[in-house]
Amino acid sequence: MPMPASISPPGSPPSPTMSVDSIHGHNTLRLNSPLQLDQLRRIKVMIVDDNSINLSILSRMLEKHFTDIVQLTVITTSGVEALQRLASEEFDLILMDIDMPVLTGVQTTIAIRQNTSESPILEHNQNVAIIAVTTSDGAEQRELYRQVGMSDCVSKPIDPSKLRSAIEGAMKASG
Amino acid sequence: MAVELRDDSDNGSDLSRSGSPSPSSPTPSLSNTTSNDGEGIVDHSTFNQLLDLDMEDDDEFSRTLVHNYFEQAQRAFGDMDAAMSASDLLGLSRLGHFLKGSSAQLGLLKVKASCEKLQYYGQGMDAAGQHSSISNEEAENQIRILLIQMRREYDEAETYLKVLYGEQQLEQ
Repeated sequence: MPMPASISPPGSPPSPTMSVDSIHGHNTLRLNSPLQLDQLRRIKVMIVDDNSINLSILSRMLEKHFTDIVQLTVITTSGVEALQRLASEEFDLILMDIDMPVLTGVQTTIAIRQNTSESPILEHNQNVAIIAVTTSDGAEQRELYRQVGMSDCVSKPIDPSKLRSAIEGAMKASG
Repeated sequence: MAVELRDDSDNGSDLSRSGSPSPSSPTPSLSNTTSNDGEGIVDHSTFNQLLDLDMEDDDEFSRTLVHNYFEQAQRAFGDMDAAMSASDLLGLSRLGHFLKGSSAQLGLLKVKASCEKLQYYGQGMDAAGQHSSISNEEAENQIRILLIQMRREYDEAETYLKVLYGEQQLEQ
């Protein structure tokens, strides 16, 4: 039975036109559905933390262990700076420290969700996935983070496997 | 300050902060570096995760990070002394929390624990973070004692890390 002309060699990246029909014609694998294409898209992440040590570790961790998920990471050192950045650039995920001066992570999240900052943030960013990254990780605090619109909380010191689970969960929830 | 990391097309940027480049050295190991292997000083699994962020056969990232931590801790201790002189308990609490985070990231167990106590004492809580009825004066006295202990614990951790990176000889 002749193979369809559109079949690419094994190991090649999927093409929007690629399709495979089984010999019996029952199963069709198509890699041109929006969901599958979206799964290949890597995300743009913002890290917000006033502590340079924490910023270095987290950004390096994303750089070394999360290249399959993360395309670009931007770091900001305050909630104020984060809001300014969200007014002009779209992000897919924010990794948010909680205890910061001037604007805490909770206050920053509220400002994002309610778009109450001085410079209106981009509409896309109002619903951006936000994960708390903090040592303040008790049950009551986690509930507070959930209530203000964060999708998860990862404790410091950061375990890469737990961070990965949190990111994947947040991305799945945000569609 | 917002610093963007590299994306696929950029091979240059690196967030490591350093003065002059340090000579290459074997990747540090947490075994056979001190007579007590850092027991109680460093959480090995946490620090090994940090070492895992180094490139193969190059410890520049972790070494630079550790030195940045030393600088940060020294600044924090200076700020704590100033806050203590001003009886600024909330300021001391904030400083305790700040240093707790980076100490935790490096797996420095004792320093982290003391920072957490400072965070709580500064807010008028007990060592476990529960509300207490002690006066500000009593809290200050607790903190005064704690700061001495914390400094001792930090010096111990600093020595351990310097020996780990071959920057100091182990005292016999």
